[in-house]
Amino acid sequence: MDKSAIRSTLPYVVGLAVAAVLFHFAQTIDYTPRPGMLGPDFWPKIAIGLMAVVCLFEIARILLGLRGETHGVGDVLEKAEDDEAPPTTYPWLLAGGIVLVSVYAVAVNILGFLLSTFLFLAAFMYLGRYRRHGAVWATSAVVTLMAALIFMRIAYVSLPRGVPPFDAVTDFIRVMLGG
Amino acid sequence: MTHILLQLGQGFLDCLTPMNMLMLFIGIVIGLLIGVLPGLTLVMGVALALPFTYRMDVTASIVLLSAMYVSGTYGGAFTAILFRIPGEPIDVPMLWDGYTMGRKGQPAKALGWTLVAALGGGLLSAVIMVVLTQPLAVFALRFSSPEYFAVLLFGLSSVVALGRGSLANALISLCAGLLIACVGTDETYGAYRFTFGSRILADGIEFLVVMVGAYGVGEVLSRLETGFATKPIDKISNARTELPTLREIAALKSMFLRASVLGNIIGLIPGAGATIASFVSYGLEAQFGKRRREMGTGVPEGIVAPQAAATASVGGALVPLLALGIPGSGATAIILGAFMLHGIQPGPQVLATSAHIVYAVFASIFLGLALMCVIGYFAIRPLVKILDLPEAVVSAYVLILCFIGALSIRNDVTDLWLMIGFGVIGYFFERLKFPIAPLVLGVILGPLAESSFMNAMISYGNDWTVFFTRPISGTIMAFTVVILLLPFVQHWRARRVAAA
Repeated sequence: MDKSAIRSTLPYVVGLAVAAVLFHFAQTIDYTPRPGMLGPDFWPKIAIGLMAVVCLFEIARILLGLRGETHGVGDVLEKAEDDEAPPTTYPWLLAGGIVLVSVYAVAVNILGFLLSTFLFLAAFMYLGRYRRHGAVWATSAVVTLMAALIFMRIAYVSLPRGVPPFDAVTDFIRVMLGG
Repeated sequence: MTHILLQLGQGFLDCLTPMNMLMLFIGIVIGLLIGVLPGLTLVMGVALALPFTYRMDVTASIVLLSAMYVSGTYGGAFTAILFRIPGEPIDVPMLWDGYTMGRKGQPAKALGWTLVAALGGGLLSAVIMVVLTQPLAVFALRFSSPEYFAVLLFGLSSVVALGRGSLANALISLCAGLLIACVGTDETYGAYRFTFGSRILADGIEFLVVMVGAYGVGEVLSRLETGFATKPIDKISNARTELPTLREIAALKSMFLRASVLGNIIGLIPGAGATIASFVSYGLEAQFGKRRREMGTGVPEGIVAPQAAATASVGGALVPLLALGIPGSGATAIILGAFMLHGIQPGPQVLATSAHIVYAVFASIFLGLALMCVIGYFAIRPLVKILDLPEAVVSAYVLILCFIGALSIRNDVTDLWLMIGFGVIGYFFERLKFPIAPLVLGVILGPLAESSFMNAMISYGNDWTVFFTRPISGTIMAFTVVILLLPFVQHWRARRVAAA
């Protein structure tokens, strides 16, 4: 069988597997049935069932080599664009981005919002291949302070302070901003 | 009618406070900037602005968000016409005639047509919105759970059938959204569903987390993967707007009307939105318009049709939100969220309980359209200047706003993790050509659809025929069947044409 066809089925196989797992969990929803009433598992099971049927249909369609995928109405109304070469992709940049946002999620509770945001902004700009060092650090500092001012002093959004000794930085900046 | 006009007059007075006017101005400018910046979508922009409104007065916050919503449908046309960069999916049709007109040496004229179309479409839709909301709210008082379910099902079906790309992928995306909405504690039984023992999952997944993650973080990751390789922009030092003459506008009056009414109707449909309005309007003009054979060669019809429809869809989308309490799009879902943050539930009762707020919002749309055109006319050069900012810098700011949005919902870092997770899912959806709109609409409309379905089942003894036998719900269900059949009819016709 054509390898590309098998590869095309992959998203639907994953979808089917997710549906199977979720169906298992839907079966284990704990509740006391009431006579004549549908349970809390009914609605999710409809969505799971529909998802599984569509995934199965697509897998069969691709493997049997059936032509003619049905598209939404919007496709007909869209004019064909000039064929443009797909842009070059850099998977390591993508991986770096995912790692960086994950590190931010870990760091924000430890370093506090202000320090972690400042470091994240600078790191992300470097990752995005922006190399004007002065601009990177200056804009990171300014944007962090602006965010602190807007969200901590004006909008009163509660943002993580961090743990000692980093919370002292948050407190210091808060005092500097008049809080 | 006099009653409506009096309330609208009061709405204008309420809107003309310094705070509300400031929010209107800020909303218009930010909306235009969002439209200009590729990678920052209208829905994402409105979502990112929500945390700013937590401490604001309800009217000011709704004025800010709706102003962003209106002007976001217009700003992207600048870059589409001048640089062939559609700031929003809405602006893709603008490339076909708007950019072509610009290439023929008339970019100022193309921008002028865009301005007139946005103003004309927007104003007409605002009038329809004012006239229609109250009667629809009164009519909606007759709605019971089967009717609400039918409307919601129609909305969910429209987003699948009217969208672009594979129908199967759209359906899978919708199911995923419905399942995400199931996470948490069930309303009827208090049972935990898909919570996996997590305390925060027991409270459910906030739609804002899904929306900001899938649209915001997902889009930034997609662009990061290309190394932020947007083509360098030619310097346009003489970007300006040249308005068409009254005679030129009069020659297109019926076309204006058609596009604006169509945009309004599409906006009314929950699940459809400005992008669909823009494409459908262009498509209809290309198939049935007087100058259909010239479409794509830089004719005004190709600019007016999508722009008027896109801006007109905003007024249409606000009607079901205010009259039925049903958000038909991502942006209106956030506006609904802003209402609910202030303890106001839009729906049939809102015109009785909070009419002054509703009419102030109506007035702000009229004022916002005028202000949008003034700013768009005079400030086009500084607005497009934002494109000089490196993408890496803008994306870093966008991510910080996403993080703040997630952290501010429940002050819990789990929401941040969830948002990052949905960002990665959003990236893969885009990569594998699964549309994100059905996922987000599934998350937003899923809980409403489930509760109205369950209420109908409880009230009518599990008799599912109730959706078809009651006159209003039956009619809406018939429309749902028609809209679901449309892609198949279109597919069948395309195959027949190919075979012939």
